[in-house]
Amino acid sequence: MVKKLKVKPLSWLERILFLDFIKGLSVTIKHAFSKTITTHYPYEKLTPPKRFRGFFAHKVVDGNEPQPAYDEWVERFKIEVIPGRSRCVVCMLCKRACPVPQLFQIEGKKLENGKRVVSVFNMNLMLCTFCGFCVDACPVDCLYQTDIHETASFTRKDAILDLELLEKIGRDWQSRREEEPDRLWSDDVERNKLWYENNLKLKKSEKKGRHEW
Amino acid sequence: MESVALNLAVAFVKILVILGIVLGVGAYLTWVERKVAAHIQRRPGPMVVGWHGLLQPLADGLKLITKEDLFPRYGNRFLYNLAIVLALVPATLVFAVIPFGPEFEVFGYKIKPILTDVNVALLLVFGLGSLAVYAVALAGWASNSKYPLIGSMRKAGIIISYEVAITFAVMGPIILAGTLSTYQIVVNQIEQKLWYVWIQPVAFVVYMFSLLAETGRVPFDIQEAEAELVTGFTVEYGGMKFGIFPLVEWYIEVLSLSAIAVVLFFGGWSPLNIPFLGFVDPLFFLGPLSPFVWFLLKVTALFLFILWLHWTLPRYRIDQITEMAWKIMLPLALANIVFTAVIAPLIWK
Repeated sequence: MVKKLKVKPLSWLERILFLDFIKGLSVTIKHAFSKTITTHYPYEKLTPPKRFRGFFAHKVVDGNEPQPAYDEWVERFKIEVIPGRSRCVVCMLCKRACPVPQLFQIEGKKLENGKRVVSVFNMNLMLCTFCGFCVDACPVDCLYQTDIHETASFTRKDAILDLELLEKIGRDWQSRREEEPDRLWSDDVERNKLWYENNLKLKKSEKKGRHEW
Repeated sequence: MESVALNLAVAFVKILVILGIVLGVGAYLTWVERKVAAHIQRRPGPMVVGWHGLLQPLADGLKLITKEDLFPRYGNRFLYNLAIVLALVPATLVFAVIPFGPEFEVFGYKIKPILTDVNVALLLVFGLGSLAVYAVALAGWASNSKYPLIGSMRKAGIIISYEVAITFAVMGPIILAGTLSTYQIVVNQIEQKLWYVWIQPVAFVVYMFSLLAETGRVPFDIQEAEAELVTGFTVEYGGMKFGIFPLVEWYIEVLSLSAIAVVLFFGGWSPLNIPFLGFVDPLFFLGPLSPFVWFLLKVTALFLFILWLHWTLPRYRIDQITEMAWKIMLPLALANIVFTAVIAPLIWK
């Protein structure tokens, strides 16, 4: 059925006096003389939220591992736990979860004392879509995504993250942001400040039953 | 013999000054346009090259000049290059008949700040304006590509429609002034103590619409509708050859037609007007420079207004554009001529 709206076409007087033009022009002139809302990128940079999906990293062993999952996986795979190194237990679940599994190259090695440790962990970000499935899959909270979003490089080789780099990024991020509480965008005060001119007010979501939709 | 040499020298100096001003200002208007557009969209626009991007036009020019010169296969190279000349020359020639200020004396010689004060100046302006369609049509045809051809056909259709409307629109001021000379029109406005826009608002509106249509400004930029035609008739041009077309169309032509509008409707170099009573000059302290500043101010204001319109309005459809030209603008202009002819004896006195 066609829905009838109570909107009239412009009257002749409105057309002759160009009222619609004037309405539009008044909007643009208002914007032309108000403050710009852009960030001057190479000189000013925004801090992404904590849960931003940027470059990948490995959290290192620092005593904050999720327990009892971590100990269980360590026991199952007989992993050598080295403080300050990656928490990876070579379970390959990240590779299994990945939509493009060939971007992971993961190998473990056996030490002389019979225990195992991760030796190779390469991620080819040329293939990555930053979907974060691998992060969800990681059972020991090792692989995760950081706030580093400037991923451009001059060679293809630079797009590959190896184990050392992942650990380095991980240590850096843990020192900077791990203490920060996880925030949702809607109650991120810092983030909202950028939009103060808009007086952005998010609606409070009402809880609806499934049947109401 | 001496006077001929002197006249030549004066004309030469005038040409140099006018060309320098027009092309230099034309290049810098790209920066103005980008700034205005950016601030309307709440961006700062060019900021990096120089203070607030003031050196941006130079950087753009350098980039355009050093670009590879591509030529479409099976295109017509002669017409392809001729189109550029045909676009640039008529547009700049219009400035030959634009009076920048009143007559003044240097070392005992009277100099009019207008290159040639011919008595059919307005005819010349619209003749040269119509020539612009050749540049567009040739550019579209010689490129041997479908987007340029469609774009140039649309532009040709628009120009032909609006040439008629604009010619009838300027008829009103011509009747009131009784002359076609641009210099004389301004002098007559000052003598009659009347900007013609006060009694020719309809002609002014029709003129503005035709101005926007002829220069391909929004809301009539259908010949280069980005979403449909990429950039219209300039698609196959590259480097500075590409740069010249927007420079001519969007800046030099708009500038020349705004100057003509100021001459016809806003009394050229005269200060603020109270109809039939006289002129008020808030810039009296500038002395003999005041008329030139007034002319500059009026043209700038009109140009900024056109930019403002450009970055506000959406575009019309091609059939709406031509329909408006023939069904609304032309009858309005004709009615305006009748109205003007009736009241003209009151103005002439």
